[in-house]
Amino acid sequence: MVKVHFLLEDLLVEAPAGTTLQRIADAAGADITFGCRTGSCGTCRVKIAEGLEHCNDPGTEERDYLRSLDAPPDQRLACQVCVHGDIAVDYLGL
Amino acid sequence: MTTLDALLREKVLLLDGGMGTQIFARSPTMEDYGGAALEGCVDLLTERRPQWIREIHESYYRAGSDAVETNTFGANPLVLGDFGLSAKAYDLNVQAASIAKEVARSFDRPRFVIGSVGPGTKLITLGHVSYAELLASYRVQMDGLLDGGADAILIETCQDLGQIKVAVRAAREAMAAKKRRIPLWVQATVETTGTLLVGSDISAVLTSLEPLGIDVLGLNCATGPDEMHAHLQTLSESSPFYLSCLPNAGLPENVGGQVVYPLDPAGFAPKVLHAAKEFGIAILGGCCGTTPDHIRALAPGVERLSAPKRSPKLERSAASLYQSVALKQEPPPLIVGERTNANGSKKFRDLLAAEDWNGMIALAKEQQREGAHLLDVCVAYVGRDETRDADELLSRLISQVTLPLMIDSTEVPVIERALQRAPGKCVVNSINFEDGDARPRRILELCRTYGAAVVALTIDERGMAKSREQKLEVARRLYALAVNEYGMDPGDLIIDPLTFTLGSGDEEFRGSAVETLEALKLIKAELPGVMTILGVSNVSFGLNPAARHVLNTLMLYHGVRHGLDMAIFNASKVIPVAKIDPEDRRSFEDLIFDRRSEGYDPLKVVLARFSGRKAVQVEDHRADRPVLERLRDGILDGEKQAILTDVDEALQDHDPLLLINEVLLGAMKVVGERFGAGEMQLPFVLESAEAMKAAIRRIEPHLPKGGSYQKGRILLATVKGDVHDIGKNLVDIILSNNGFEVRNLGIKQPIEAILKELKAWPADAIGLSGLLVKSTVIMKENLHFMEEQGLKVPVILGGAALTRDYVEGDCRRAYAGPVFYAEDAFEGLRHMQALVAGTTGDVAPVPAAVAAAEIKILKRGGAAVPLTAMGQSSWVRHEEAPPTPPFWGVREDTAATEELFGHLDEFALIRNRWGFAQGSQSDEAFAAVLRDKAEPQLARWKARLVATPMLEPRARYGYFPVRAEGDALQVFDPADPARPLARLVFPRQTAGRRLSLPDFFRADRTDVLALQLVTLGQTAADHAARLYKEDGYADYFAFHGLATELTEAYAERLHARIRRELGIQGRDLPGRALFAQGYQGSRYSYGYPACPDLEGNGPLLDLLGGGEIRVRLSESHQMDPEYTTSALVAWHPQARYFSI
Repeated sequence: MVKVHFLLEDLLVEAPAGTTLQRIADAAGADITFGCRTGSCGTCRVKIAEGLEHCNDPGTEERDYLRSLDAPPDQRLACQVCVHGDIAVDYLGL
Repeated sequence: MTTLDALLREKVLLLDGGMGTQIFARSPTMEDYGGAALEGCVDLLTERRPQWIREIHESYYRAGSDAVETNTFGANPLVLGDFGLSAKAYDLNVQAASIAKEVARSFDRPRFVIGSVGPGTKLITLGHVSYAELLASYRVQMDGLLDGGADAILIETCQDLGQIKVAVRAAREAMAAKKRRIPLWVQATVETTGTLLVGSDISAVLTSLEPLGIDVLGLNCATGPDEMHAHLQTLSESSPFYLSCLPNAGLPENVGGQVVYPLDPAGFAPKVLHAAKEFGIAILGGCCGTTPDHIRALAPGVERLSAPKRSPKLERSAASLYQSVALKQEPPPLIVGERTNANGSKKFRDLLAAEDWNGMIALAKEQQREGAHLLDVCVAYVGRDETRDADELLSRLISQVTLPLMIDSTEVPVIERALQRAPGKCVVNSINFEDGDARPRRILELCRTYGAAVVALTIDERGMAKSREQKLEVARRLYALAVNEYGMDPGDLIIDPLTFTLGSGDEEFRGSAVETLEALKLIKAELPGVMTILGVSNVSFGLNPAARHVLNTLMLYHGVRHGLDMAIFNASKVIPVAKIDPEDRRSFEDLIFDRRSEGYDPLKVVLARFSGRKAVQVEDHRADRPVLERLRDGILDGEKQAILTDVDEALQDHDPLLLINEVLLGAMKVVGERFGAGEMQLPFVLESAEAMKAAIRRIEPHLPKGGSYQKGRILLATVKGDVHDIGKNLVDIILSNNGFEVRNLGIKQPIEAILKELKAWPADAIGLSGLLVKSTVIMKENLHFMEEQGLKVPVILGGAALTRDYVEGDCRRAYAGPVFYAEDAFEGLRHMQALVAGTTGDVAPVPAAVAAAEIKILKRGGAAVPLTAMGQSSWVRHEEAPPTPPFWGVREDTAATEELFGHLDEFALIRNRWGFAQGSQSDEAFAAVLRDKAEPQLARWKARLVATPMLEPRARYGYFPVRAEGDALQVFDPADPARPLARLVFPRQTAGRRLSLPDFFRADRTDVLALQLVTLGQTAADHAARLYKEDGYADYFAFHGLATELTEAYAERLHARIRRELGIQGRDLPGRALFAQGYQGSRYSYGYPACPDLEGNGPLLDLLGGGEIRVRLSESHQMDPEYTTSALVAWHPQARYFSI
């Protein structure tokens, strides 16, 4: 099992290793907005504040999108992240 | 007396700013123009109001301009013809130049007059005007400017590469006739799209103009200084000419129907000076929106600049309308495609005889795909009018193929017509001295006039040069004529030392390859800078195809090692040298280098070894292959034209049903697999489907009575309340071109209507589609309804908001019949195939929340955020005072199509709308797809949208006083802020931040809500519908995607304007981040996660007066016409997207 900490609302969730962040967020009702859920619209961009190394590497679409924004490496599209260890997820707004 | 040239060597020259801006500041009346019919004819004011023009020039000179531009932007017979004033053109130019000269002379220090020549109103590249007509029109203008005393000609604001070349020629000819040489300046206008209006990038412009020997090449108009940087950099690094830069006062904005330029003099000057230093610009000034004050602000800084020094490095290149291609490729050689040649390709000859222009274009594109860098085009065919054929083919080729052209003809008039047609820099193929030097002189003259490179063969009066010495001797003579006499750059002289066949065994030619290879070496050493080329495949004439591939490959390989730069070659037939059998290689190299010995003749060895051997299967040429294979490839390559001939041929001795079932559907299956594996992009899939449709149409009349290739039937519909068409239509295209009968019921279909149709037309499945989140709920309701009716017909669900979990869980539980989720059209196809074959897998509902059960909430921090006393989320902080809008109430806005391009999210368009996904491709392969397919497609569409009006962008937006009241926004009358107009109610998050949209507005005082509504108009929707109906799948899909993103672009543009008007644009991020909420505040549309209820569109349209721009609300609360979008704009810094 892995733990995901959603910092915006201080929500701590436990899930089987390898679950997608999208599924965890949906199941726990986390305050993340998803759009296309396929890694191309970018609505669900978040910051992995801790445990980036516990996430899968971005696939080609996601990498392409993040590059187009010059996004720092700790930003990811929540719908594309697979969680393999404990992580903390932060909100990008003010 | 100081000349312009002398001054340019000393200092940076300061030109003037906008002329139009100054004229319009005087608010010319109908009387000023001389009547209603002449209103807007600014060039005529030179005659009618000379004092104004005098004053404007004077004000610029006083502000510090070294030179001013004449009021002659449109003063040529073609433009003036719109006012019935063609005959005045010459006089107006003389007069305008004289007035400016007169003012210049009243100043002490040297002041100059630049004759302004605008782009006119007709695009020659798009065929709006003939070459001769345009040339004659410009000639009149040039004559007038010269006679009026202009010190330089400035061909400016250029949007069309073809037009520039004509105007340059007109100027040259006028100067030659008057024996008065003055500097010739050119300024191109690069739109926010990064290209000229017709799609040329700045490198293509430079390559095409470089041989014409102009004096200045720079940029003006379209954008402000910042947006010009990338293009200035290209010119700075490569252009041998002085560089000029006359930007607008920023990117123009439309404020309340008025064009407004955002940069004031203090903002403009430092940006221009920065660019001048950075890029070594020699001539500065301003264009639209700039005034004498802008020039005054620039003057002190310009005085401090010294004449720039650059060391430009220009690669010798050829150019198409769109792009420049270096003649020296790395690795060499540059490949010239040889199949668009009536002498070399039977297929091309047949297409030409049938006047199948599209087929010829397809052949050209095929060569581009195979890796050709340049296309040799030859339409010489006995009994046909070569000039007309060249004209017909080139007029299509130039806009549809991005490769530069090699004009291959022996006829001087054909070459000239072709050079007039092709806007870039061509290569002419070819000259030689067979009949002396009269003909090469005429052709070199054309190369000089039109700016072309030339292929020169080593043939003279004695015939084809065979020995290396003779080849070098003729090459020297060619060099002397082209370079020394005609002033051609040696890099544009491409010498062909001739290739003869080694396949005949003829003793005379046994050593010919050695001579050719050695000649290459000598020519490169003795004539520095020249390029070399060979028609490589000649070397193997007479041998069988298998032997030819190997010999050609090795000849090419050794040619490159001896200094070969370019090869006329079928790019698909290159075999990696490493893959050639070592023994074969030895024999062929012995043949090339003529290494014979007692009892050993490599030719005999080769003939023996290759007799009966099949050609190596490397992307074999289509025509050599069995018809069924060609059919299959026709589908895979999406050759909707070419496939018809193959279909006809195949029908002669194949069963039509078998053709469809085995060959065509088999090929479509491969298409599906490739798409699934990420190897094929959606646009290519659609091209395949178009080819399939064309092929089936052709075969259908031949089907036996009662013979059907159809596998099953499906009813398709977009569900009630949803107007989204495209996903469902893609499914229709894929299924109907994979052997299924599809009845497409359209959008907004209530389940009752679908079931009624099912009764009349029993189908194997129902396919339901929808994009909205709400549609996912409707789909489940539909299934409940079907369950109540006791139906069992299988249902396939697809749509953006659906998830597999939801379909296989919730939806399956609602209905006892089989329910499937289709992620894309091909998964839908697989379900249909499984259904008719009876091999569907497990269709039992996935037990509820299997995975969710394992996901446990360990802690929900400090309960939810509390609400304030006013009922708002306390997470939102109200620290900044609401901004004040420049007006209250609603205004209208319009934009030209091209103005939307600057706000277009090309990234999202190409990847999400057009479906160019990287998938399993390497980064390089994907970059090549983007470069060769996606970007040219976008450039073509932009040119199409500009050339043919298909969009009517209109918008309304406004500012309303509002106050938050719990979950509602109370909107007040802008005219009477005490009077409530509407109350907009929004849902609230139940946990977490407990946000609702009103929280971003003040509850304790009046706040400002901006609303916006943009549409591309009914014409856009009609156009999409027409394309779909006419089976232009790829076009329909491309247009729909582009129109959708352009609707967004307009919304972005209007939102940017709202931010500026509210004074909150300071937090706008640069670049693409703007498309990812990179700004202060947020734009919320109904139907999206923060305000999912489409009903909200009703009050919004009422508030904005949507009817004024013909936007209506459908019964399902969506906006009609398609390509319309609306939004509520919040200014609050914490306002971001959120989900209810």
